[in-house]
Amino acid sequence: MPRISIIIAESTCLIRKGLSAVIQKLGNVEILQSVSNKVELCDIVNRLKPDILIANSNMLDSDCEDLKKHFITANKMSLVLISEDKSIEDKYNADAFIHYKDNQSKILDVLEEIVNRKAEKKRTNKSNETLSSREQNILKHIALGLTNKEIADQLFISIHTVVTHRKNITQKLGIKSVSGLTVYAILNNLITMDEVK
Amino acid sequence: MKMADVIQMNYMLIPVIHRFGIELGFGDKTVDQVCEENEVDLNFFLQLVNAYHDQDYFPKEELQSIPVREIVAYLKMTHASYLNNTVTDIEQKIKSLELEGNEDKKYIALIRNFFEGYKSELTEHIMREEDVVFPYVLAVDEIIKSEQFTDKNKKVFESFSIEEYEEEHDDVEEKLMDLRTIMIKYVAPPANTNLYHSIIQDLFRLEEDLNYHSRIEDKVLIPKIILMEKSIKNLF
Repeated sequence: MPRISIIIAESTCLIRKGLSAVIQKLGNVEILQSVSNKVELCDIVNRLKPDILIANSNMLDSDCEDLKKHFITANKMSLVLISEDKSIEDKYNADAFIHYKDNQSKILDVLEEIVNRKAEKKRTNKSNETLSSREQNILKHIALGLTNKEIADQLFISIHTVVTHRKNITQKLGIKSVSGLTVYAILNNLITMDEVK
Repeated sequence: MKMADVIQMNYMLIPVIHRFGIELGFGDKTVDQVCEENEVDLNFFLQLVNAYHDQDYFPKEELQSIPVREIVAYLKMTHASYLNNTVTDIEQKIKSLELEGNEDKKYIALIRNFFEGYKSELTEHIMREEDVVFPYVLAVDEIIKSEQFTDKNKKVFESFSIEEYEEEHDDVEEKLMDLRTIMIKYVAPPANTNLYHSIIQDLFRLEEDLNYHSRIEDKVLIPKIILMEKSIKNLF
């Protein structure tokens, strides 16, 4: 299963550390960073692109809407808000809420549900998608026996991009070898048998 | 423990004991008795069966006492049985499927080509082991036993190192995995589904057996030779 990445944004040291400790009890997650400074938050979230952002509502205040729009939809990130009282549930639109008075099992329940949902999404995204037209095009070139360098030159992209595409193709199809990919390409009419040397 | 119980626990061991020259029908004889009758080194047999059975099994002290000759002879027998039996059988099945087919013929030809490509890769891999690695291993063994270099084994010893082998020992199974993925995920089965299914099952078994086989090479042979290389360096 893919690991789920988390960023914690909370100015109070006690809560930040305490929450980290509780989250460690969930398997399959990693905390990328804990942020205590409001100003840095936007940058860090943008750079690290976590799957889940757990933030105190006072870290977001007026900017919250902005943050939601820009990061949360663009990065497909889930937002979990921490707060003292329940009234924020009406004020903000988050995927889940954690309250100061929640006990450990309540917090774990809330987070686990989100983590599972994320993990499920990640998995189906990776394995069930069919190839994009770009990937099909790359696959066609691979099947014709071109090297990464040759493909990059022909399509005017960097070798690095070709390698990334190849990785994704292999992951989606479950086929690693060039000759295996060639058979797939023929079966799916991306190339004809005569084109293969 | 009774030999029959060992086999009941893991049927993949049937071809393994066959390679030792042990035939089924041993009744209630123990492993010890069967090995003695067939002149099989009991210690080696046990290490082998354990390594086959348990992925994480790693013999340490026992390793020292297994004769290198025995290991090499066994690995050679395994190679022969892959090339002469398992792989040829699968190839035959694919060919007969191709002969039967009409509209699926094109796809089966693809599969056959792919498998033939795999077969030559496997053959090449095996040949490299038999022509380079095993002679080297036997030379190391000879040097240790006689405690001296001869012109011949010195040349072999200096031409290669087991480290080289460890690095190049890539898994030949990749293509095999691809083939079964293609057959399972991307090809509509031909009219003779029974034969098609049995080919897929054969591929799974071959893959499993090859994995066992490489474990013996990686966990028994290589560590043993590394130790021997070290003691040769200390000797001279």
